[in-house]
Amino acid sequence: MLEGLVSQESLSLNSMDMSVLERLKWVQQQQQQLQQVVSQSINNSPELLQILQFHGSNNDEFLQSSFSQFQMLGSGFGPNYNMGFGPPLEALDECISRTSSCHMEPVDTMEVLLKTGEENRAIALKNKRKPEVKKREEEKTEKKIKVEAETESSMKGKSNMRNTEASSDTSKETSKGASEIQKLDYIHVRARRGQATDRHSLAERARREKISKKMKYLQDIVPGCNKVTGKAGMLDEIINYVQCLQRQVEFLSMKLAVLNPELELAVEDISVKQFQAYFTNVTASKQSIMVDVPLFPLDQQGSLDLSAINPNQPTSIEAPSASWETQSQSLYNTSSLGFHY
Amino acid sequence: MASADKLINTDVPEKDVFALHFLQSLSNLKTQNPLNSPAKSIDRVRKIKKAAYVSMARAAGGTSRLWSRALLRRAAKDDNKSVRFSRRKRKVTWKISSKRRKSNNQRAPVVEEAAERLRNLVPGGGGMETSKLMEETAHYIKCLSMQVKVMQCLVDGLSQK
Repeated sequence: MLEGLVSQESLSLNSMDMSVLERLKWVQQQQQQLQQVVSQSINNSPELLQILQFHGSNNDEFLQSSFSQFQMLGSGFGPNYNMGFGPPLEALDECISRTSSCHMEPVDTMEVLLKTGEENRAIALKNKRKPEVKKREEEKTEKKIKVEAETESSMKGKSNMRNTEASSDTSKETSKGASEIQKLDYIHVRARRGQATDRHSLAERARREKISKKMKYLQDIVPGCNKVTGKAGMLDEIINYVQCLQRQVEFLSMKLAVLNPELELAVEDISVKQFQAYFTNVTASKQSIMVDVPLFPLDQQGSLDLSAINPNQPTSIEAPSASWETQSQSLYNTSSLGFHY
Repeated sequence: MASADKLINTDVPEKDVFALHFLQSLSNLKTQNPLNSPAKSIDRVRKIKKAAYVSMARAAGGTSRLWSRALLRRAAKDDNKSVRFSRRKRKVTWKISSKRRKSNNQRAPVVEEAAERLRNLVPGGGGMETSKLMEETAHYIKCLSMQVKVMQCLVDGLSQK
């Protein structure tokens, strides 16, 4: 019964070349009709409920549009319903916004009707709102997780905000949506008792936690850093280590420069042989490479003791002792990618 | 927690990759100035050092890391080559970090002062926020120690000869 009416409405509205006046008139007519229909259908509510639920569950564009007609009349609940429908209904939304001034009174009556009617219908309507409400609730729970020690007043404020959202304030809705997106990629921060819960403090705490986590990681890498307590001391140690390594590179390049004439010859030999070995024979065995490059004991580097140069350095920076084959395999892969700079 | 752990990914390629890149850049160096050219020893040292850093940056994954990007950019600048990276991104990060650094200085002066010194050490560290700086430093340290090992091996092999 209702469906037939509504679908006709939607069809007639889809012809968008009506004049504004015509549209206004037409909308008022439809509202009156629908009010009648609703008041009739209070008696046989299960049917309406069914229809409404059907509308809510079905994704057919036609049905959606027809349902949005119904919403148009009940737009006192806000234009929020139309949010999920997508671009084809934007034109209709415009329609609603244009005619919203004229059907404010019937809307109120509609609301009253629905409220005085069965709860079921309201629930059925709510089915439409479910995704949104769910989102909000998710956000709420997230917030709860984030801020355990949330004060009661802020909770009240939030609930108030929710109420105002439920009213048809689109600007607020959009801003809220933006903040939702922001909050989704948030890091969970827990506030213990006595800790501040405003945004800046939370962000600052998250940042500090991030930094300290990475500091711990650095502490594992940099030798001799475990004994030092305090961030400043740790950073000093890290700085010293980096400086030491950089100086080492400089020193070694000086050494290489001294050995330069030899080096250039040797490099030529080594590089040619090594490249041949690597690129022609990827799965070369360890022996063949060792025969090719006897003076460059790459595979013995693991046993090389750097403690003579840097007494602080333990063996924590050892390369993973993979088999030679996998090493050369990975080398082949990476170098074939890496040589085209 | 798990996502935060994923962020700290400082996998470093094998030593052989570093060695190969270093040798490659050394041979490039050789082709640039022929064997018997009367180059000064200081100049030679500088060039070898640069070759070491550039090869390290390349072995560490080219432009995937901020510090390697910075190193390669610096090298390209030295060579008067055209800079290969877009500069827009860096400018943006600089703006953000300069703001943040100001506020950081108010928070913890000692730590931030140390972080500032670290920024000067790690190439490209000027435009990083502190947590990113830590991550880059970790990777940089790993690569640097690898490079040191490779060079040490090279020196040892040559001096034995």
